[in-house]
Amino acid sequence: MAEVILENICKTYGNNFRAIDQLNLSVEDGEFLILVGPSGCGKSTALRMIAGLEDITSGSLRIGGVDVVDMPPKDRDIAMVFQSYALYPHMTVSENIAFSMRLAGKPKAERKKRVDEIAKTLQLTSLLDSKPANLSGGQRQRVAMGRAMVREPAAFLMDEPLSNLDAKLRVQMRAEITSLQKQLGVTTIYVTHDQIEAMTMGDRVAVLKGGVLQQVDTPKRLYESPVNAFVAGFIGSPSMNLFEATLMGDELMSGSFAIRLQDAAFVRRPGLRSYAGRKIVFGIRPEDLYDSSLESGRKYQTIPAKVTSIEELGSEHIVHLNIDAVRVDSGDPDAVDDFGLASNAVARFEPVSAVHSGSEIRLAVDDAKFHFFDPETHLAI
Amino acid sequence: MTRQKRSHHRLKRAVAPYLYLSPSLLIIGLLMLLPMVTVIGYSFQNSAVLRRDPTFAGLKHYQAIFADPVFWASLWHTLYFTCMSVVFHMTIGMVFALMLNSDRINPTLRNILRVLYILPWLFTAVIIAVIWRLLLEPNGVVNSVLMQMGIIGSKVEWFSSPATALHAVTFANIWAGYPLFMVSLLAGLQGIPRDFYEAADIDGAKAYQKLIFITIPQLMPIIISISLLDFIWTMQVFPLIWITTGGGPIYSTEVLSTYTYKLAFSSYNLSQASASAVVILLISLGLTLLYIRYQKAR
Repeated sequence: MAEVILENICKTYGNNFRAIDQLNLSVEDGEFLILVGPSGCGKSTALRMIAGLEDITSGSLRIGGVDVVDMPPKDRDIAMVFQSYALYPHMTVSENIAFSMRLAGKPKAERKKRVDEIAKTLQLTSLLDSKPANLSGGQRQRVAMGRAMVREPAAFLMDEPLSNLDAKLRVQMRAEITSLQKQLGVTTIYVTHDQIEAMTMGDRVAVLKGGVLQQVDTPKRLYESPVNAFVAGFIGSPSMNLFEATLMGDELMSGSFAIRLQDAAFVRRPGLRSYAGRKIVFGIRPEDLYDSSLESGRKYQTIPAKVTSIEELGSEHIVHLNIDAVRVDSGDPDAVDDFGLASNAVARFEPVSAVHSGSEIRLAVDDAKFHFFDPETHLAI
Repeated sequence: MTRQKRSHHRLKRAVAPYLYLSPSLLIIGLLMLLPMVTVIGYSFQNSAVLRRDPTFAGLKHYQAIFADPVFWASLWHTLYFTCMSVVFHMTIGMVFALMLNSDRINPTLRNILRVLYILPWLFTAVIIAVIWRLLLEPNGVVNSVLMQMGIIGSKVEWFSSPATALHAVTFANIWAGYPLFMVSLLAGLQGIPRDFYEAADIDGAKAYQKLIFITIPQLMPIIISISLLDFIWTMQVFPLIWITTGGGPIYSTEVLSTYTYKLAFSSYNLSQASASAVVILLISLGLTLLYIRYQKAR
């Protein structure tokens, strides 16, 4: 077990494309860190650089206090779980798990003992003689974990290991990997583009965009205090609604509506006053927007909105709306999918809500949950 | 639908596949099965083809060829020629395929090598035979180069000496046949997921361990299929040997195909030639059954 420290890591390809720019990250001993970001953000490249499968253009990488930049993958004391699992189809489960020990010339009896221990932990004992082709997706995933565990590495590296599983199995394996990591206490760096995995599995989450680290924090703090509009939009599903507005006194003016901000908003963000009379970006999460007909007791301010479509999920309704405000793009390519062509906002209503597609409604807004960003830099205020 | 209509419909459904197959079955029957059965018939007749009323000979012609030392020499030469060809086709094909698949070779050079390595495949057997006859002539390029390098002291008559002729024709056949393996193995190599090698790198595999534990097992289905096919085809090679050595000198390159040809068209002993052809057929059939069994098992 060891800490993994990345200092000013850069990766530039031959065509001068910079995949990773000045990445600084410190993963503590035994920590479960998630690297998350949209497609092409450089998260897999970063992981592969830690593994030694990609050269590091510049910067320093230390695993367990040892500078490993010039070390081949085998000497870095890491184990990796691949997205495809990379199980050898011609070998049995047992042979796959024991492969690294076989390469190291460990005696057969020692290999068998270790494989049996791991198989017991991962509930693979009855499958040891099977070939990967005869296993289910979840079982293959566990074998891949077993192959990583057999080496007793200083750190686990996992590259989207759940992306090939169906939704139900993914939920189950999420929990299994998390509890296994806690049980083993091995430093783990886990790459995913799925922000639900990011929020539920890791001790801390590092959000990357365009090869640049945006924020590293606990899932709760990422959700509550995103450092910029990109992180705000990326973390949370559906994404945070971001709109342009003008701050006039203590009122946010946007299109045909105005929302009065409470004093607490200015106390919490002293910089907000400096935006008086200027454009500002405000964000509100779908779960902080309500059907006003159900919220009369809470005295939220309301704004007019038109319902464009509803997704009834049973436990909640995802309501696509159109409000009179200019939507701001967070820069997250995946967030665009949350909005239809005719809508610019998404709300999460309780299933008892009776709104229907096409209806004009009053949307209750919990203004205490507003997030504010600079319109130019998109940095949080 | 009435019962009559239903049974008519069922009959049509049952017959339809055979109707679709009938043109190809007819062609195979006329061009392959009929000659095969006829040759088997000839092998049991006296003076087959030559006489209008051939008599039944039983196993006489089989006994005659099995008693002929040239037949056994031919069988041994065929096995040597075939085994060496298949082994070297596979080895050279594998080495070249690994080279062409390697990231360490410059892509432009790789494309040039790809064209160069595949060249032997473009030539017909006759051209290959002529090329190697010219190259391996006593006054040819090969002797000249080997003498200049000091490997041989005097000119070697590669195709004319009983000591070297079989090795020389085998060498020419190896040169002519490796591209099939190379192309097939290259396609196989390109289909092996990169993750396998990366996982092995992390596990500490050396280059030779990756070859033994990943590459070869992954290519095994291709290696077995192509080796069996190559074995079947190489056993029947005729033009290359006929044009380079004609089976000589002193039967030293006589293989079953040239032996059979000579029986038929030099000695006009078509009955014995048929018996020899049936022996080739049986060996090929055995290998083909092996191939089919392997394909089914997969």
